[in-house]
Amino acid sequence: MEFSNERVKLGNGIYLNLIKTSKFKSNLLSYYFVRPLNKDEVTKNALIPLVLKRGTKDLNTSIEIEKKFEDMYGANYSSTINKRGERHVLRFSAEWANGKYLNDKELNYGVVELLRQIIYNPYIENNAFSKEYVEQEKENHRIRIESKINDKRSYAVNRCIEEMCKYEDFSLYSLGYVEDIDSINEINLYQQYKNILNTSQIEIFFVGDYDEGFKRFLIDNNRVEIENPVDIPREKIITRVEQKNMIEDCLDVNQGKIVIGYRTGVAFEDDLYNALLIASDILGGGPNSKLFRNVREKESLAYYISSSIIKYKSIMLIDAGIEFENYQKTINIINAQLDELKLGEFSEDDIEISKKSIITSLKSIRDSIFHISEFFFSQILAKDSRSLEQVMDDFESVNKEQIIEAAQKINIDTIYFMNGKK
Amino acid sequence: MKVFTNERLNEQVLFKELDSGLKIYFMPKPGFVKKYAVFSTNYGSIDNVFVPIGEDKPVEVPEGIAHFLEHKLFEEEEANIFDKFSKLGASVNASTSFNQTSYLFNTTDHFYQCLEILIRFVQSPYLTDENVEKEKGIIAQEIKMYDDNPAWRVFFNCLRAMYINHPIRIDIAGTVDSINTITKEMLYKSYNTFYHPSNMVLFVVGDLSFEEIIETVKKSEKKYELKSIDIDRIFEEEPRRVNEKLIEDTMSVSTPLFYIGFKDYDLGLEGREAIKKDLITNIILDMLFTPSAKFYNDLYNDGLIDSNFGAYFSGKKTYGHSIIVGQSNVPEKIYERIEKLFAKNPREFLAKEDFERLKKNELGNFLMGFNSVESIANNFIDLYFDKFNILDYLDVLESIELDDLLDRFKKHFNSENMVLSVVRPN
Repeated sequence: MEFSNERVKLGNGIYLNLIKTSKFKSNLLSYYFVRPLNKDEVTKNALIPLVLKRGTKDLNTSIEIEKKFEDMYGANYSSTINKRGERHVLRFSAEWANGKYLNDKELNYGVVELLRQIIYNPYIENNAFSKEYVEQEKENHRIRIESKINDKRSYAVNRCIEEMCKYEDFSLYSLGYVEDIDSINEINLYQQYKNILNTSQIEIFFVGDYDEGFKRFLIDNNRVEIENPVDIPREKIITRVEQKNMIEDCLDVNQGKIVIGYRTGVAFEDDLYNALLIASDILGGGPNSKLFRNVREKESLAYYISSSIIKYKSIMLIDAGIEFENYQKTINIINAQLDELKLGEFSEDDIEISKKSIITSLKSIRDSIFHISEFFFSQILAKDSRSLEQVMDDFESVNKEQIIEAAQKINIDTIYFMNGKK
Repeated sequence: MKVFTNERLNEQVLFKELDSGLKIYFMPKPGFVKKYAVFSTNYGSIDNVFVPIGEDKPVEVPEGIAHFLEHKLFEEEEANIFDKFSKLGASVNASTSFNQTSYLFNTTDHFYQCLEILIRFVQSPYLTDENVEKEKGIIAQEIKMYDDNPAWRVFFNCLRAMYINHPIRIDIAGTVDSINTITKEMLYKSYNTFYHPSNMVLFVVGDLSFEEIIETVKKSEKKYELKSIDIDRIFEEEPRRVNEKLIEDTMSVSTPLFYIGFKDYDLGLEGREAIKKDLITNIILDMLFTPSAKFYNDLYNDGLIDSNFGAYFSGKKTYGHSIIVGQSNVPEKIYERIEKLFAKNPREFLAKEDFERLKKNELGNFLMGFNSVESIANNFIDLYFDKFNILDYLDVLESIELDDLLDRFKKHFNSENMVLSVVRPN
């Protein structure tokens, strides 16, 4: 079953994507603003959604906004900021119950209007954000950035990327930096907000049930011209590793965490990219993978161990949580398993299992209103015009030689180890 | 076969009990690609004192044994369970909570083959001294991962502050020391007691045929001699007071994390009454501790909390608690503000208008929950063990009135049953 998927150009640099389906009990509307990832913007970009949520022109406080969403049958507003390669993407979304279950025909219009007010019509004082709101959210944002240490697994992954990519913008932390918060004020933050509205590529997604009238409404209300959309170059991919790194942090923790970063040099546009994804899956994708079987099931060294590919940077990461003293033993097994992969020591069964696992997750996209929107957005970012079916077919056709060829391009770059305090 | 229908939701649940005593529920989801099955036993970490089947005296088993057993059921003499599912393109998983152990898979194809494997592997444990030993290293790493998780620590410290005897105080996975004492014999004893079909339920959701589901289960299930068994679970009496008012701890965190707990004494409920109490309490908490609440905004604007602040009620037949969570540099101040608020007449802050709006909010959120097969299945099972059918949820919601909230408030929220748990940066 294919989606009926329509892409409407609303103006220079802005598109509306409509995905019609009646299988969900809700609708989803998302606005994606695509920014370059750089140190100058990153902290401000991450702070802006927090300030926008504090008030709109008509609803000056967040309590009024919240009440209004609740009154619209608990419409869920959310915003995220994350990096996709060297792009910094702000997403503002609302998901709300389909009015047909509630006998409320106006619901769709009401939610769209409120979401648009939050994004485009914030509470303003003297041509700037409210000073009070900005100061409060700066403090909250500082706490939010600092609390990245609380989740040790993701902290370890971020530290590895930070060290490995220290000469690339990809090393930047997507929430920004504490040291850049002080210089932010209600005026320069408002300028950056205007800058985002005026120069970002904007992709709007609606997933759900709609009629012509609602489609017309979305088109008419979102028309705008982005005069000078900021040009974001394709990320550079590093193929050769000049110098291998070994980084160790000592923290007051009970479990050691290894994160290993590899350069593969296989671009996602490359025919070999699917083979690389399968190679990574065979190595550490699921409970059938080499790493899971050997590090966990055979040697009982870890509870979690996995490998994954970072699409836009062609980086592979392996991460595991282990006993501190098992560091070398674990590294040795990982190295040996990767060597086996490069030598083609895996079966046709392993390939089939990985393909099926990848294809099952691709198929499952159709059951999630949110994943549908994310899939199409990521296709646009990658300038990939293939349908979901084509993406799946392309995985099917990968063969063992291609997987070996891709695996042989995996080169170790950085080992990060979170050790205990000595 | 029985059919439960909710016209408003446009959803159905089909039910059949097999001769073995196993109950099967199925929610058809035409048009969905994903198919999901959960096979659950009414057995979790709190069931650690019981009379083993065929014996007459109670035993106390090591902390974390239900979870250990969950890991070990994936073991088979020859093939690997993960492999079997992987080859069919399915992914299999399991989880242990305070009250249940669940084995589940999701797939887009070969559903009935997967279902067969699921039933067979859960009903045929293969435990050896060697494979039990091997698992200890893996689970020890799982425990240590949680030991480094500050949210987990502050949560369990809060439970330990509230409860004196109830086994909800103990960590679901146990401790490294407790799991090291687990043996094959103990695991079989627990298994034989709690994995009888009459103590289990199978829930399936997806675009499937109920007849074929039933046929598949019938040909896959093990034959048991007894149709049903009575399980004698023993809970030491839990005193009507809290254990400690305050538990403090330090970890590698940036800002102090806090949990404020209110221990519930209105226990022993099941079915509709239990769900009603649950909903009433959660609406009260929403009226105070969500971003639409005045109290929340007062704390927020005073810079005491950030958007991580929130609250929920969680309860079962033998325990219950409301929990308010957040991160703040001044947890004691928040504790005091809540204590002060709760000393007031609840009519001042439980307003009709907010109540009606939050009911609407709850209605919409409940509807949206039906979008995800995983969320349907997990909620169904959880409510099922409380002897409640999820399709009746909206009826209960609509039966709640403001006076119910006021009554519950007076009973549940007072400073005597209130505790504080804090994890500070070290």
